[in-house]
Amino acid sequence: MSSRPSILARCGLVLAVLLAGLGTCWADPRTSNLWWMPENASEGGVYIDQLMYFILFLTGVVFVITQIVYIFFIVKYRARKGVPATYSHGNNRLEIIWTAIPTAIFIGLWGYSNHLWWDVLHSTPPANSLQVGVAAYQFGFSFQYPGADDKLGKAEASFVSNDNMFGNDPSDPDAKDNFTSSVLEIPVNRPVHIRLDSKDVIHGFYIPQFRIYQDMVPGRMIDWVWFTPTKIGKFQLACSQLCGSGHYNMKADIEVVSEADFEKWYQEKVKAVQPQPGAKLTSVTETKDQ
Amino acid sequence: MSQTIAHSGAETHAGTAHHHHELSFFNKYIWSEDHKTIAIQYLFASLFFLLIGGLLAMGVRYQLAFSGQPIPLIGSLLPRWLVTDAGAIQPQGYNGLVTMHATVMVFLVVMPLLVGVFGNFLIPLKIGAPDMAFPFFNALSFWLFFASGIILLSSFFVPTGFPAAGWTSYAPLSANGAFNGSQAGQSLWCVGIFINGLASIAGAVNYITTIINMRAPGMKMFRLPLPVWALFITAILLLLAVPVLSAAAAMLFFDLNFGTSFFEASRYGQPLMWQHLFWFFGHPEVYILILPAMGLVSEMLAVFSRKPIFGYKAMVYAMAAIGVLGFVVWGHHMFVSGMNLMLSSAFSFSTMLIAVPSAIKTFNWLGTVWGGSIRFTTAMCFALAFVSMFVIGGLSGIYMASTPVDLFIHHTYFIVAHIHYVLFGGSLFGIFGAIYFWYPKMFGHMMNEFWGKVHFVLSFMFFNLTFFPMHNLGLNGMPRRIADPSLYDFLKSQQPLQIFVSLSAFGLGLSTLIFFVNFFYSMFKGPKAPRNPWNSTTLEWTLPSPPGHGNFPVTPTVYNGPYEYSVPGMEQDFLPQNQPAPETARLAVH
Repeated sequence: MSSRPSILARCGLVLAVLLAGLGTCWADPRTSNLWWMPENASEGGVYIDQLMYFILFLTGVVFVITQIVYIFFIVKYRARKGVPATYSHGNNRLEIIWTAIPTAIFIGLWGYSNHLWWDVLHSTPPANSLQVGVAAYQFGFSFQYPGADDKLGKAEASFVSNDNMFGNDPSDPDAKDNFTSSVLEIPVNRPVHIRLDSKDVIHGFYIPQFRIYQDMVPGRMIDWVWFTPTKIGKFQLACSQLCGSGHYNMKADIEVVSEADFEKWYQEKVKAVQPQPGAKLTSVTETKDQ
Repeated sequence: MSQTIAHSGAETHAGTAHHHHELSFFNKYIWSEDHKTIAIQYLFASLFFLLIGGLLAMGVRYQLAFSGQPIPLIGSLLPRWLVTDAGAIQPQGYNGLVTMHATVMVFLVVMPLLVGVFGNFLIPLKIGAPDMAFPFFNALSFWLFFASGIILLSSFFVPTGFPAAGWTSYAPLSANGAFNGSQAGQSLWCVGIFINGLASIAGAVNYITTIINMRAPGMKMFRLPLPVWALFITAILLLLAVPVLSAAAAMLFFDLNFGTSFFEASRYGQPLMWQHLFWFFGHPEVYILILPAMGLVSEMLAVFSRKPIFGYKAMVYAMAAIGVLGFVVWGHHMFVSGMNLMLSSAFSFSTMLIAVPSAIKTFNWLGTVWGGSIRFTTAMCFALAFVSMFVIGGLSGIYMASTPVDLFIHHTYFIVAHIHYVLFGGSLFGIFGAIYFWYPKMFGHMMNEFWGKVHFVLSFMFFNLTFFPMHNLGLNGMPRRIADPSLYDFLKSQQPLQIFVSLSAFGLGLSTLIFFVNFFYSMFKGPKAPRNPWNSTTLEWTLPSPPGHGNFPVTPTVYNGPYEYSVPGMEQDFLPQNQPAPETARLAVH
């Protein structure tokens, strides 16, 4: 035993190399986000972050305690001459304790998660929500706004086609004045209720700063997603469901602006739509390169 | 009950005794029906596939760190679906790399290493049987598996290249050649997965039958070593889950090639049905990939702590609970897929519950190490590391199980980190340990311990340096399967971390080569292995290394549980299962 490095020395060596590696990485000058979550920019995200940090605390404590105990055991109970192992097949009381406690914690965690899932994140969207239709295709996004009447109108997945990407119901007059945009322009602090559909394959609607993800499934109109942006700024919508050869670059810009700026942008768009009686339903057709 | 077992055991042995004549080369090495040879065939094949899967991973990491730069040396030799004329990886080629890396590692590496290699090798030897119940079926299983591997990899040579819809092959991307750009590759994927499923089913039927019918006299179910229990439960999972995937792969093939509309939305199919079918298989599959490793690790921990496993029955019940609950958690892959939100609630609940048996197992491993007399062999180092890595992988799973947090980290690198902690730090570390442990019995030679330790330390280090930072990449919002993250404003800042991860991954790849050299060198030059190099209690160590055809010259009788180490009142610190306890031994009833 004495001629070879002790197990402690070996563990120390491994740890030192690990830390040296991490340290080198850290030393590289950082401009912005590298290690952690992007700053939250939505109302619901606050709750998700709280829960996330709670789980981080919980798992962190469990991790540290189990590892300390484990490493302590490994070092303390290394083979030594004349010290036999303890003969034990286990302990039923311990089994009951370490079954019951995790069960209680996990059920509690589920209870709170589920409350958040239903009562906060997927509650009924407020009446003053801005309604936006979001259509995905290989490889891009398009956004539809309600137009002058503030009504997006009915839509169904079965109506989705090349000419009607948002699946608007042709018999619904509310959809006639809708306009489209290639940028998701939204006002700050007002709930945004989105209606998602896809023309071809499954795409993903993912905005990490808003802590929101929803798949966009062809053949399905998904209308339960809503969020309230809380910070003015530019963000990016990234498709996060593998959707083909152009997936790596399928994205759209998001601009969160003040209520006044939004109103200005919106009225300009509405004006552009108005003077075209009898035009196609999606009057401002996207010509984004595919 | 034990009467019937005794009878059938003896009879089977008598039956095989007549066949001990010299076998021709073909029957001995190619179409062998000996479970030990089949296990070694599985071992060579899946280590070959491990090499391929590892190279694919290197390609993935190269692209993420050095996007757009030609691959040094081999870039210009690669086919055009994969690289540009200059030799840099193309986005569609990258999709293919990601898809095939995961497909190879899951279906051709970890699953066959655990189930094909250790299932075949250990089950008959550990239960005292001469061979599997259906030796012909067993040989068929290997060759079906091998064929499936060749079919899957042959897509490298078709003009459109690898399938590129992810290993999960979500429809309708996978169901329409116009969408995924690789009709031929995707079709080959379907055929390969279908045949791979047949191999699994053949194996599973064999294991279940063998374990139920062919145990040696005295080998009660609760005297089975834990690897056998784990493989038994795994075989049941395989038998119930794999046919669903095979059926789904056949349906997908029809959608792709014959215009049916199971999953294709534009023809009124249901894209989400694919996900339900896939994950109905896919979640039990996750446990298929970890349960046997848990069994193998439990045994190594007991042997090298010189202690009985802590809470043997709790371990068995925990594995059974995982087996049952494993069938009702598949929807946690689909919280944000567009399925009914109520289902997400329910699947979140069952997912939280399935974390409990994993916690129980972890605590029992700690209990096993407690009070031991630990021998730090290479096998033990990997087994010890398995527990720590599994704890990290298990704890990171809780984040995804919580539906609101999943909204944030779903489909990011956080999940990539999670799966690799479970599948590499867990399963593959367990497999490495088990190879060092059972190698003497398989090949009759010892592996080199020094180079084993070097392999362990480097793998352990580079593994963590590769995969731990992926949690951070994920928290920063990096989605999976994006060929060039630098195209996104919010991902640009993390490029240094990407490069760091890639360099670590290359280190991890190189450290695995040490294992390969040790593995093949020891086969010829390693010191001769004694019968029982680790002073182990289970039946395989009572036989010569390697055991002869037919295994046991005389059917053994089993008197004890599997892990009677350091029994008070005994001269030696282990009591083999086939030896009655001496008068002085003070065995504890458990």
